[in-house]
Amino acid sequence: MREESLTAVATSIRARTLSPVEAVERCLERVRKWDGRIRAFIRLDEEGARESARKLEAEAAAGRWRGPLHGVPVAFKDLCHLRGLPTSCGTAMPGYFASAQDCTAARRLLDAGAISLGKLNMTELALGAFGDNAHHGDAENPWRAGHATGGSSSGSGAGLAAGFFLGTVGSDTGGSIRLPAACCGVVGLKPTYGRVSRAGAMVLSWSMDHLGPLAWTSRDVALLLQEMAGRDPADATASRRAVPDYLAGIDRGITGVRVGLPENYFFQGVDGETAAGVRRAARQLEDLGARVSEIRIPDPQHMTDVAMLIARAESAALHADVLRNHPEMLQPTVRGRLEVGLGVAAYDYLQALRLRAKLTRAFIGEVFDEIDVLLTPVIPEPAPALAPLKATPVEEFNIRSGRFSRLTRPFNGYGLPALSVPCGFTTEGLPMAFQAVGRPFDEGLLLRLGHAYQEAAGWHLRRPTL
Amino acid sequence: MTDAQRQQAEMASMAGVIERLAGELALAEEPARFIAALEAEEDVPPDA
Repeated sequence: MREESLTAVATSIRARTLSPVEAVERCLERVRKWDGRIRAFIRLDEEGARESARKLEAEAAAGRWRGPLHGVPVAFKDLCHLRGLPTSCGTAMPGYFASAQDCTAARRLLDAGAISLGKLNMTELALGAFGDNAHHGDAENPWRAGHATGGSSSGSGAGLAAGFFLGTVGSDTGGSIRLPAACCGVVGLKPTYGRVSRAGAMVLSWSMDHLGPLAWTSRDVALLLQEMAGRDPADATASRRAVPDYLAGIDRGITGVRVGLPENYFFQGVDGETAAGVRRAARQLEDLGARVSEIRIPDPQHMTDVAMLIARAESAALHADVLRNHPEMLQPTVRGRLEVGLGVAAYDYLQALRLRAKLTRAFIGEVFDEIDVLLTPVIPEPAPALAPLKATPVEEFNIRSGRFSRLTRPFNGYGLPALSVPCGFTTEGLPMAFQAVGRPFDEGLLLRLGHAYQEAAGWHLRRPTL
Repeated sequence: MTDAQRQQAEMASMAGVIERLAGELALAEEPARFIAALEAEEDVPPDA
């Protein structure tokens, strides 16, 4: 089953050639065998998963189907609140976050029939780009021992790549879905701001947070997004727009789609092999019918700075209690990042929010008049070795972390949808990825492009040897 | 340099960037226009 996609497993369960109990047991077997090393889970819920699987199996036998994810094993980043399980948010405090209601995005997947295997490892408070965690252990990259998984949704990326589950929900404030997706060789989507409700999930920055799906293929991600997306009375920022059918046109191909490779910012200071991999992917998209051109875009560094200041101020305000009253409970790198936010002046914060509006309008207007999809690298270098990174002083570590997310963070500021798609491997065997960015609420086109590329390139069929 | 000094320097650097960019903001610009830009609800941008 490990070599199959979420879609294939869902189809097999529907055809009754695979039972929910079998699907869950196969995943749990892998978790038991490998998670001592991968450390994807903070809390494995074996009994809960088995109970759900038995229930769903009985329902299937009676011809009752909850939805398109009936019986599919999934897991959730440990900042998604689900009744009955504590939510540590990667801290040393098991119940750091509590909510009156379940995380809407996770609950919608469960309502569609998915089975939760438990809660996943993450960088403490979702603050950090590499996936290290001093309290729960560093998640390990299944493709290469000792290398970072990317963060902050480290367990989501690593566990998916290790075959522990078939789909997952991550959060993304500066790249935390896309970085682990790129480092671990899976697909990750940061949807448009407001496309997916954030109710019931820990907030790091209410202006920059996004929840989104990760899976092996763009089609799988489309299937997950279909269930997660849509208005939610519990989240005032959730868009009221209707949710399109993401799967309906996914096989339509990309003939005539205008793809832009940025001349500025996104290829500067990027590892040569990574840059070449993304440019090679662009040529493959051209072979598939896309019209690829180079484009000069408004300087994303401005939005990177604006987004960083807003996120720092909001995260410090939100987590002020632990920062002020129990700072010793936090990792030094996380504490250092939060402390900076305590000193942000209201004047600067408000000007940054105003600038965000102006920069977003300018970016959408200038870029998407000329192209339909912007194509960039996701990470500036392949997943780095973690031990040498952790040996650096706190300040240096946080500077490296900021650099590692410099290609993803602008799109949290712009609020635009951004899809990370694997596009090959380095000579050292580490995954490479491109980032496809679209107009607001144009996730459908990104998923169609990702799907066309994956069907042609086939990188998703490779799996790590554990 | 102490941690506190480093943090002050980082904050000052971020604030400097914001101050420079904010000089170009129109009086009518406001945070809510971010959502309007995404939802394409704007008829006339404030800096038109």
